[in-house]
Amino acid sequence: MRKVLIGGIGSVLLGDDGVGPYVARLLAAHYEFADGVEVADLGTPALDLIDHFSANDSVILIDSVHTEADPGAVLLYRKADIMRHSPTVRMDPHSPALVDALLSAELFGVAPADVLLVGIKGESFEPVCDLSKPVKVSVEQAIAEVLRELDRLGVEYRRRQHPAELGIWWATEEQMESPRAT
Amino acid sequence: MANRITIDPITRIEGHLRIDVEVNNNAVSDAWASCTMWRGIENILRGRDPRDAWLFTQRFCGVCTTVHAMASVRSVEDALKLEVPLNAQYIRNLILIAHALHDHIVHFYQLSALDWVDILEIPKADPVATAKLAESLSPWTRNSKTEFKAAQDRVKAVAASGQLGIFMNGYWGHPAMRLSPEVNLLAFTHYVQALEYQRKALQVVGILGGKTPHIQNLTVGGVSNAIDLDSTSALDMDKLEMMRVLLAEVVQFVNQVYFVDVCAVAAMYPEWFKIGKGVNNYMAVPDLPLNSAGSSYDLPGGYILNGNIGGVHGFKTASDKDFRDGVSEDVAHAYYRGEKPLHPWVGETQPAFTGWDGDQKYSWVKAPRFNGQPMQVGPLAQVLIGYAQGHPLTRKYAGLAIETIGSVGHFQVTPGMLESTLGRHGARAIRAAMLAELAQKHLQLLTDNIAKGDYSVHNPPVFDGHEIEGVGTHEAPRGTLSHWIVIKDSKIKNYQAVVPSTWNASPRDRSGAHGPYEASLLHTPLARPEEPLEVLRTIHSFDPCMACACHTFDPSGRQIAKVKVL
Repeated sequence: MRKVLIGGIGSVLLGDDGVGPYVARLLAAHYEFADGVEVADLGTPALDLIDHFSANDSVILIDSVHTEADPGAVLLYRKADIMRHSPTVRMDPHSPALVDALLSAELFGVAPADVLLVGIKGESFEPVCDLSKPVKVSVEQAIAEVLRELDRLGVEYRRRQHPAELGIWWATEEQMESPRAT
Repeated sequence: MANRITIDPITRIEGHLRIDVEVNNNAVSDAWASCTMWRGIENILRGRDPRDAWLFTQRFCGVCTTVHAMASVRSVEDALKLEVPLNAQYIRNLILIAHALHDHIVHFYQLSALDWVDILEIPKADPVATAKLAESLSPWTRNSKTEFKAAQDRVKAVAASGQLGIFMNGYWGHPAMRLSPEVNLLAFTHYVQALEYQRKALQVVGILGGKTPHIQNLTVGGVSNAIDLDSTSALDMDKLEMMRVLLAEVVQFVNQVYFVDVCAVAAMYPEWFKIGKGVNNYMAVPDLPLNSAGSSYDLPGGYILNGNIGGVHGFKTASDKDFRDGVSEDVAHAYYRGEKPLHPWVGETQPAFTGWDGDQKYSWVKAPRFNGQPMQVGPLAQVLIGYAQGHPLTRKYAGLAIETIGSVGHFQVTPGMLESTLGRHGARAIRAAMLAELAQKHLQLLTDNIAKGDYSVHNPPVFDGHEIEGVGTHEAPRGTLSHWIVIKDSKIKNYQAVVPSTWNASPRDRSGAHGPYEASLLHTPLARPEEPLEVLRTIHSFDPCMACACHTFDPSGRQIAKVKVL
């Protein structure tokens, strides 16, 4: 059984940084997955990500990214793209550590071969619980990219006839009006 | 279809702690700690249901999730004067202990060890000599030649490839690195093994909390765990047994590996007991309640002023009157509007960014003060306050650490030497050993109480609309955490979190007094100012909770090095 983690990363208290958990919750509510697939809202993990890398054969992460692209752009990064970056001189164990965790997992020989980061360029990271308009629009595309990766990996999934409870407890009612999933 | 681009950079939102130091004659002559990120998360809580607050506060930090959840429910319970059933206290205590053990192990091995351990010296080590040395220090069964050889081969492969990966930015070969190749290999091997044991500690959090990193079993008034010894969907005998086994392994790792490694490394850097003292006012709150009312605790609290350990003042409860009356936050040097220091219940969070100016405002962190004084919090404060009050468990492990460091290093160690950079690491190991012992105690207390037939886990909260105030505290891995809540009409009217790293990373206050990070860096010698390893050592010893950028200036203010973190 192939173990696959679909993990949403980000702070749900900081605007568009919460897009990862938001997408993860939508996926879990609207789709059923083959055994061995875990969909998780990981919050803002640091080096704990090493455990997620070591425990899975494939890891798909959804996270907001800082790039020059327009807000709402969906960008894909593979393992080599992520590992090309330098680790940081860490001052604390709690800051985001995707690069560090993957490099560590690689050093320990426990990194999965398949890692995909579905990145979404955010617009606003102010302390609010809602996504900006452009990011909200891009959620659908981010979900499609996750499903495309599952197709590529040969992992089965199917859309639920009756969506499960969304569990996006942090969002305001306005935000929850029309959650969309392809 | 998505575009594929080269990533540069690939960072998320993060809390930046920036450290600026001024250097004169290769020693730090002044220092500024500043947070470069606006933290207005508390404002999100206004108007919400106080029973939901913990779900939000749990998202303050992605690693210290549980501590903010716990302080939040405790703040509401304090406001309501609501007691918590005994089972709930024990379950909460176990979660807090397991989290803290995980946190301390990760802190030492993943963050700090490589400040003292030179990875590139490891290929020179003799695995047989390393095993012999390890045997002389500890009965740990995984101190075998085979494990040391395997770890060494890993480093050799990385070094030979020229792709240092995770080790790319270390200060290897720095003159302040002084361990023998064998000690370097010993510590690195444990760094690899530590991954397994910190994970086991987290599994305990997961068993009780339902999930990690965000636990789901809290509720104002107790916990939501169903207890039924015969039901696999509830907290049953199997789960209690699983936790017993997991904790036994973690406890063994703490006692035989982490504690020993800290003592051994400390023994080889005696000069670091004279560096990094800083603010010598200390504070800790009591924690691990032993009864429903929260009037008796396994861990003591109190405060010490000006290093006067004999004059320690105790806190009787986790929301002691002295504590609740004494805390205020000053924004004289922080990017907020406000005239005078404010108590957290009337605290304001109104941003007014003006740019970094070391003489004026330079940080997003407010300056918390206790009776007007900066306070150092964290394991060192916890240990000194316990030691000063004659707390037996603190004395037991502090004594063991002092004895071990002294016998390995062949020098005399005194409790006062703990007031230093290495002392903070030593104190954290002492605290971890205490918590390891208490983990087993509290699991037994829970098991015994359930065996008596007490399955109660929750007392329902009742709100009557009146305005009420509460403070929920937790003596977290990094020190005193307090959440301050004002409730009116069953809604949150005000919410402020005064977190350990705010106490320690505090900027100057209106009187000009340095915060603990700042003060601890003064007079630190730097062998190579362009590679400020020594600054990292001291800042890391506090276990800060934010990403940092570290700048080194010469007296003319010219920036000679910038060590930027993400």
